[in-house]
Amino acid sequence: MISNMIRFPSSLFDELDEVFFGFPASVARPRRERAYPPINMGVTDNSVEVYVFLPGMKLEDIDLTIEKNLLSISGKREGEKPEGEDATIYREERFKGSFKRVITLPDDVDPEKTEAVYRNGILHISIAKRSEAQPRKITVKA
Amino acid sequence: MTEQNVQNTRQQTPQQPEAMPLELTPAVDIIEDKSGVTLLVDLPGVERDGLDIDVDKNVLTIRGNINLHTDEKLNATYMDVHAGTFTRQFTLGSELDAGAIDATLKDGVLKLFVPRSDVHKPKKIEVKAG
Repeated sequence: MISNMIRFPSSLFDELDEVFFGFPASVARPRRERAYPPINMGVTDNSVEVYVFLPGMKLEDIDLTIEKNLLSISGKREGEKPEGEDATIYREERFKGSFKRVITLPDDVDPEKTEAVYRNGILHISIAKRSEAQPRKITVKA
Repeated sequence: MTEQNVQNTRQQTPQQPEAMPLELTPAVDIIEDKSGVTLLVDLPGVERDGLDIDVDKNVLTIRGNINLHTDEKLNATYMDVHAGTFTRQFTLGSELDAGAIDATLKDGVLKLFVPRSDVHKPKKIEVKAG
């Protein structure tokens, strides 16, 4: 019985990688990101928008600081411990442990006007540009 | 069919970051115990509406669309994530009960529990007094 239990998932999931990806499992697995968490960043006329791909976090485990124009995102991501005594981790690709990323923001931002929201595993940080850096519409008088 | 699709999309290069044409392979943890198999899938930015879990015969397909709620006027300056969709497929063994999958999505992590079919669960056999 025990030996059946141990053997079964291995044959189950090895099979899947070959069938669906057509190349060895080691290649098909997502490569560990060189930098965790992945970040996308962009600018609008009025702000700098940073999107941090950080699923499954507790808010108290995320540390966010801005010093001068350096935005620093750090924290710790805990792994889920198997519940039962008989549980075995068969595959472990998700990031676990401490992380830190530092982003250089453009010079024209105003760190005082920063908002951060965590939603659906995305940390969205919005930093306003200084008012003098924002485009202004100039009315032409007759 | 599936195999070809996966390879084709991987060879494409993103011409317009806004269009985000590529597919991502989400990171997965797989834990198994006596009662069944638990999959934890990282799907940051995926909402319930954008998540599709499908079992066809014994093939489990997970597909999720990333929604960043971005401003249309946003110009990308840096991107680690060039795609807008997560996709991954698994074959379920006959020992598992595909009809009884339990799925929860919280903070961009999908937790899927696939129980073992009753037939394959270790059973305690009661001995009745004769």
